[in-house]
Amino acid sequence: MGAVHHDLAGEPTFEPMIQIDMEIRNFVSAWRHCDYVSTYVARMISQTRSDSVRHSNLFSSAFNELLEVAFRTRHGDGELACRVSRHGATDRIELTFPCVAEERQFYKEAVSQVAGLEARERYVSSVSGDIAPSREIVLLELAVDYNATLRVEEADGDAIKLVVDLPLEGFEH
Amino acid sequence: MSPYSLLPRFKAQYDANSQEFSLSGVVRPQAIDELAPSLALLRDAIARVRGVLYVNVRRLTQMNNAAFHAFSRIIIDACRARPDLKFVVITSSVVGWTSRKFSRLSGIEPNITVEEYDSEFYPGQGFLEEGGFVPILRTQTKMTWRHERAILPRHGMRPGIVMADICCGIGDFAVLVQKEFQPSRIVALDHSMSSLNYARQVMREFDIRGIEYTYGDASEMLLDEAQFDLVTCRHSLQIFNRPELILKELYRICKPGGRVYITNEKNSHCLGEPRAESIRWTYNEVAKLFGHFEMDVELGPKSRRYLIETGFEDIRVETFMVTNLDGDPQDFADVIVAWADVYAGEMAVRRGDGPEFVARFRQGFQDHIFAALHPKGYAGWPIWVASGRRPQ
Repeated sequence: MGAVHHDLAGEPTFEPMIQIDMEIRNFVSAWRHCDYVSTYVARMISQTRSDSVRHSNLFSSAFNELLEVAFRTRHGDGELACRVSRHGATDRIELTFPCVAEERQFYKEAVSQVAGLEARERYVSSVSGDIAPSREIVLLELAVDYNATLRVEEADGDAIKLVVDLPLEGFEH
Repeated sequence: MSPYSLLPRFKAQYDANSQEFSLSGVVRPQAIDELAPSLALLRDAIARVRGVLYVNVRRLTQMNNAAFHAFSRIIIDACRARPDLKFVVITSSVVGWTSRKFSRLSGIEPNITVEEYDSEFYPGQGFLEEGGFVPILRTQTKMTWRHERAILPRHGMRPGIVMADICCGIGDFAVLVQKEFQPSRIVALDHSMSSLNYARQVMREFDIRGIEYTYGDASEMLLDEAQFDLVTCRHSLQIFNRPELILKELYRICKPGGRVYITNEKNSHCLGEPRAESIRWTYNEVAKLFGHFEMDVELGPKSRRYLIETGFEDIRVETFMVTNLDGDPQDFADVIVAWADVYAGEMAVRRGDGPEFVARFRQGFQDHIFAALHPKGYAGWPIWVASGRRPQ
């Protein structure tokens, strides 16, 4: 087993795997970009996982939802940056994208609620509801169905950074 | 052009005969309108069925939340409108996410149940997978490899290719190929978790790189189409009750111009001297015994027909005989001991054979061992190798 590195704050060091940057204008020009990027990145980072095909499929499934969230941004300028890094069984997605001030506030609140005890109940009740899943529900589902942990970080300019840790190696369905 | 745009993204089908609505592929719409025909098909299926509607998502590789919600709403609404109707969602653990996601539905409506399909992939094969069979599988591969290392280059094996080994078992063939031919990538797939765990342990211990072991059903693989230069599938079509389904998948994942390589036996042609008669009788009975469990260990010479019927061209067929003269005769004898235990032990007993039959059945194996270890004896196990090229 390799050495485990920790940064000064005590958090384990995640080793960078891949980064993809795009102009947000280009990204939102076609819906299929979400599928392309999630599929491509999933394949690239999964080859060293114990079951590469299954890991790739799971990762793509979760990552695509995040990209679909970013796709719906109301801000038309700036860059989308997708960075994936790894520590042991956990893959970290850092998705930075421009959004308007209300959206930034919305994401902060949505992510803080994901950690709530009633997350599963809220997710299930959204499935049985009439309204199509909101961006908040999409984030909630990552926590409920993929055991993801989420947080929001400030980013430069009008951007926001969603940090999502996915412990998919050895993931039990 | 991207390969994605060449392929249909998903398929929705309804089979009235089995009351089964199935969804397969990648369902990631931007707007629900894109799903309108499929949603209408599901509504129509619900209107027609009585009793149970099966919703088959075994080959649904991806579905975004928008699509999941749209299909789920129809099913949940139907449960409320028609309490007489039950829904059974069939998932596969191979896909990874479907079982957990769809199981939420059964928490909402008790008339929805979720069943994972995987445990019944290959009826009958349990005999050959569990217990102490691993050392014998390794010995078998060691014996066949002496021949196959020379044969494989005639069937498309060369350094640098991308290859798949489907039904890889404990992964020993993939390791030997990696060492001998250095393909750039090997994807090795099997449906036995215990075999894959063993393969991964070997890979870790021996620091082997370049092999990706993956769990899956050979007749319905998650692997993308047309991505491998060579696809191997050894000793497996013969123990699957519908080999044509696997061949169809091997064809699909093989690149146009690439080759699919299969090996199979004709068990009744196992032979030995002395005591040839007893040996012949027993191996004829082996073929019948496997037939009872819907496995065809006489498949070897049928390989050419199967490959042609699947659509391959430039079919190449050859045979080789593993014998007691290949290396240590004790290896050959050890393999026969293991066969006797499984065939005359578990399988014959399961079929309900009486002690008299089992005693005679066992005698043939013992005579085969006798022939293998006899200083002047000869014992053989014939294998049929066949490959075909996927047309350009």
